[in-house]
Amino acid sequence: MQPSVRSSRKSRLWVLVVVIGIIILIFDSQIPIVQILPLLEGKLTTFATVFLGIFIEAIPFLLLGTLGSGFVEAFLDHSQIQRFIPRGILTGALTGSLLGMVFPVCECGVVPLTRRLFNKGLPVVAGIAFLMAAPVLNPIVILSTSSAFGWGWMLVGRVGLSMLIAVTTGLLFSVVKSPSEILLPASLRFGGKRAGTSTTQPLAQRSFRAKLNLMMVIAADEFFEMGRFLILGASLAAGMQAFIPQQVLLQVGHGPVTSVLVMMALAVLLSICSTVDAFIALGFVSIFSPGAILAFLIFGPMVDIKTTLMYLSVFKKRTVVYLILLPFLMSLLAGVLLNLVVV
Amino acid sequence: MSLRLYRYFQSLLLIALGIFLTVKIVSGKLIWYIHPRFIPLTVLAVVVLLLIGMVVFIAGSRTGQDHGEEEQEPGHEHGPSAWRLAVVTLPLAIGVLIPAHPLNASAMGGKGISSAVPITAGGNATIQFDQAADTRNILQWNGLFNSNADPSTYLGQEANVIGFVYHDPNLKDGQFLVGRFALVCCPADAFAVVMVVIWPQSATLPTNQWVKVKGPVQSVQLNGQTLPSIQAVSVELVDPPPQTYLYP
Repeated sequence: MQPSVRSSRKSRLWVLVVVIGIIILIFDSQIPIVQILPLLEGKLTTFATVFLGIFIEAIPFLLLGTLGSGFVEAFLDHSQIQRFIPRGILTGALTGSLLGMVFPVCECGVVPLTRRLFNKGLPVVAGIAFLMAAPVLNPIVILSTSSAFGWGWMLVGRVGLSMLIAVTTGLLFSVVKSPSEILLPASLRFGGKRAGTSTTQPLAQRSFRAKLNLMMVIAADEFFEMGRFLILGASLAAGMQAFIPQQVLLQVGHGPVTSVLVMMALAVLLSICSTVDAFIALGFVSIFSPGAILAFLIFGPMVDIKTTLMYLSVFKKRTVVYLILLPFLMSLLAGVLLNLVVV
Repeated sequence: MSLRLYRYFQSLLLIALGIFLTVKIVSGKLIWYIHPRFIPLTVLAVVVLLLIGMVVFIAGSRTGQDHGEEEQEPGHEHGPSAWRLAVVTLPLAIGVLIPAHPLNASAMGGKGISSAVPITAGGNATIQFDQAADTRNILQWNGLFNSNADPSTYLGQEANVIGFVYHDPNLKDGQFLVGRFALVCCPADAFAVVMVVIWPQSATLPTNQWVKVKGPVQSVQLNGQTLPSIQAVSVELVDPPPQTYLYP
């Protein structure tokens, strides 16, 4: 507790210094702020509208994820999870990648849920496969993708390749023996501390109401914890949209490889929820190659600005690098191959 | 910060967020931020936010009375910190302090203009080829020009569209763009659809002013795109419509 109190005081001091610095700068340099404001105002309202758009659109899905996490903590026992998830590496990865069918979460909800499941004894391989696959392999996303693209090859490609990439990434993580090797110590203590406290009764002995209350309180905690990254991610994405012309990105988007790279970059920058990104991809169908659209639909749910921030708050840095790099290379390969084969 | 106070602040923020969304729903401004089909989800989110807010408030009022598990549980690794909550006030602050506005001409630079209007594969395509010409909106006109290799069939038909005024730097004198934003999810994916209006008094129209334009449709080239244009017979100043966006 002691170091964190000190570091939070330090960060508070820094914020104060920066704010005072800005104020001094403004008054000292005599920047004609009145003249700048009207210019900025249009951009600022655009920023606000885009930011609130992403935030409001994501709230229901974030709540779903945090309630799911609360449910796991309050209602599921260590032994239950061990019973459902096979210990085998391949079977574990496959089960993990399909777990999203039971927990329909998007990429904002999946991170807290995965952390919670790790603390409840979920094996590493299954957990990573779940983390990568759940934002696509769940009923809501399959429905939204099908309503955008129909029940065709795009849907099959999205679901199939996401599962393939998730299982492969999970399998590569089989060299890791325990979640403690990939999770930050803070995310681990999480469940362990509570288990050690004398007041914690075994789950079975608690009343239903007490469990429900616990679920809600945990959901609130996670909403604030993960909501921070949603907010930071949304403001970054909105800022880029308001201040950097999208045209710049689109103009470089030709060729079988660059078009895939551009759409993947766009998936990261836009940071849209996986439950709706199919509709957005639709808007690019006429501009970009099919492989680029597919890569957008596969890579976006695994890695974007807000999930990267969330990963960093839960996993060790090295793990985050793998969690970004592996899906990146595989999605790129999938998109480019499709372009070369089809075109 | 004491745990009790932390819980009270959490509860306050959750309920404030619920009220903020309720105000947006009731005032009809929610459609500035999301596609109407997501409104039921937002309503559901409001219910959940208020419910969790109340449960957390009660949990807060109980802490300290019985030194139960609540004492160790929250705040996780860092202990209750006000800074963690502070970030969540940002959407509220932005929502309250920056004047609310749907996307308008100021967003044109960043968003770019698209004549490539997507046609949904899942049916309910909005473009009906047999639709009466004067009921088509800007999105539908662009869709027609985009879906048909030879737009000449539509040339000369009478258009009657509304949109906001945008003065593109590449336009000639006596021309302006009448535009709408179209979106499929939220303003993050919005794209502008425009028609070029040929109207001698173009320069007198302020940017962002909503206008109703009538006249025969022609086709022009702008920045390498073929766009539908209107040889304006009349340009009328109008109020913004309740639904400012179009939905493909």
